[in-house]
Amino acid sequence: MLKTKRTIIFGLLLFLAVSLNAQQSRVTAAYTFLQQGKLDSAKATIDVAILHSETQSDGQAWYVRGFIYKTIYNQSEKSNKQSSSRIEGLISFKKSLTIDTTQENVTENIKNIKYLATTLYNDAAASLDTIDYKIAVNNFDIFREYYLLVDPSAENFKQKEIDFANAMATVYTRIYEADRKGKTDFLNYAKASYNKALSFDPNNINANYNMGILYYNQAVNLINQSDYDLDIVALNDVQDNSINLFKQSLPFMEKAYALDPNKKETLLGLSGIYFSLNEKEKSNEFKQKLEQIGK
Amino acid sequence: MILSSWMVVLPDQSEEANAKIKTIYIYNFTKYIEWPASYKEGNFVVGVLGTNTPLVTELNKMASSKTVGTQKFEIKSVFTPADCAKCHIVYILSDNSSQLNGVLGKLKGKSALIVTDKSGLATKGSGINFFVDGNKQKIELNRSNIEKYKLKVASTLVDMAVQVK
Repeated sequence: MLKTKRTIIFGLLLFLAVSLNAQQSRVTAAYTFLQQGKLDSAKATIDVAILHSETQSDGQAWYVRGFIYKTIYNQSEKSNKQSSSRIEGLISFKKSLTIDTTQENVTENIKNIKYLATTLYNDAAASLDTIDYKIAVNNFDIFREYYLLVDPSAENFKQKEIDFANAMATVYTRIYEADRKGKTDFLNYAKASYNKALSFDPNNINANYNMGILYYNQAVNLINQSDYDLDIVALNDVQDNSINLFKQSLPFMEKAYALDPNKKETLLGLSGIYFSLNEKEKSNEFKQKLEQIGK
Repeated sequence: MILSSWMVVLPDQSEEANAKIKTIYIYNFTKYIEWPASYKEGNFVVGVLGTNTPLVTELNKMASSKTVGTQKFEIKSVFTPADCAKCHIVYILSDNSSQLNGVLGKLKGKSALIVTDKSGLATKGSGINFFVDGNKQKIELNRSNIEKYKLKVASTLVDMAVQVK
């Protein structure tokens, strides 16, 4: 029923767009090719039409272009996380939205932009691994741009930003952990991502805990990677640097603890930080709390 | 699609890091302190009085790759002062500090470095004592307590430690 209604609306819009001049005939021809399933011809025809001065400012022509590219994406590029047709579709619907302010077209353009943007979000989520993470970042950026264009007050968008930043930080941490000496940049990327999540929500427990752990493990690794031949002066420098990192870890871990006092990992982390800062009484306090929870 | 953002990363072991610091110190002691010729044969024995698994593990790791001159390290857990008699270094853990006097008694006439881990013990017989200053692990050194066991201590080590008399 909905599909039929959409087809009628689309047909009506197209009818209104059709005129006697040649360029607009091209738009009609492109749509006909689309209906016939001749997507290559539809694409070639509409790409010529939108370059011409008579139709380059025609919202209807851009809408048809968007529809053709969306169809190409759906039919042959859906498994391609970097589909160029999807991007062309978004560009076209956005252009149409800017030019054509009639209510029906605005509604259709928004609906299509939301649809394609959502597929970008899904592909970003599916690319959150140590190999495709750049695709994830790029797709999420484009998703953000288009989704906020059509729904600037999206209620759950902040949560999406937080979740994505945390997820990216996780990916960066994995890359760093796999090669701590060679991939130190990724430690900084991970921290930047957690900071981004915290900029949206300072009370995000995952970001606080994980940020604390990043600094904590960095401090421990600094000591554990030291050579036994280190002289005492150099050992003092290592201690100074690690103490500095433990102190940077502390506020994040304390915040995570304030947000969830019964989280075992946080209690373990705080016990470890205070132990490393040679504050044994405080370390034991958290150790005891951990033992009580474990009972 | 829901993004999975939660990764439970457990903190690395802080006890191991502390053990590493102390092990590096102990290895440094062997470079800046000289034992009499009669102690330069056989294994170089480090005895740990008390129980600290991460420390003993770390000392054993060090022992597998380092030597004192031509001597191989031998790391021993010891439980009574009598067990310390054949050690080059005796490290008395803080929980076992009350055994310091017993160790001093057993080491009379021997050449051993006594290392402790509790405030004030460098004035009560130990040669080197670990202490904490500004969150940092440091050492205090009592030169006469080292030299009374016929050990020679390099001025470099003396300069890097807080001196106690």
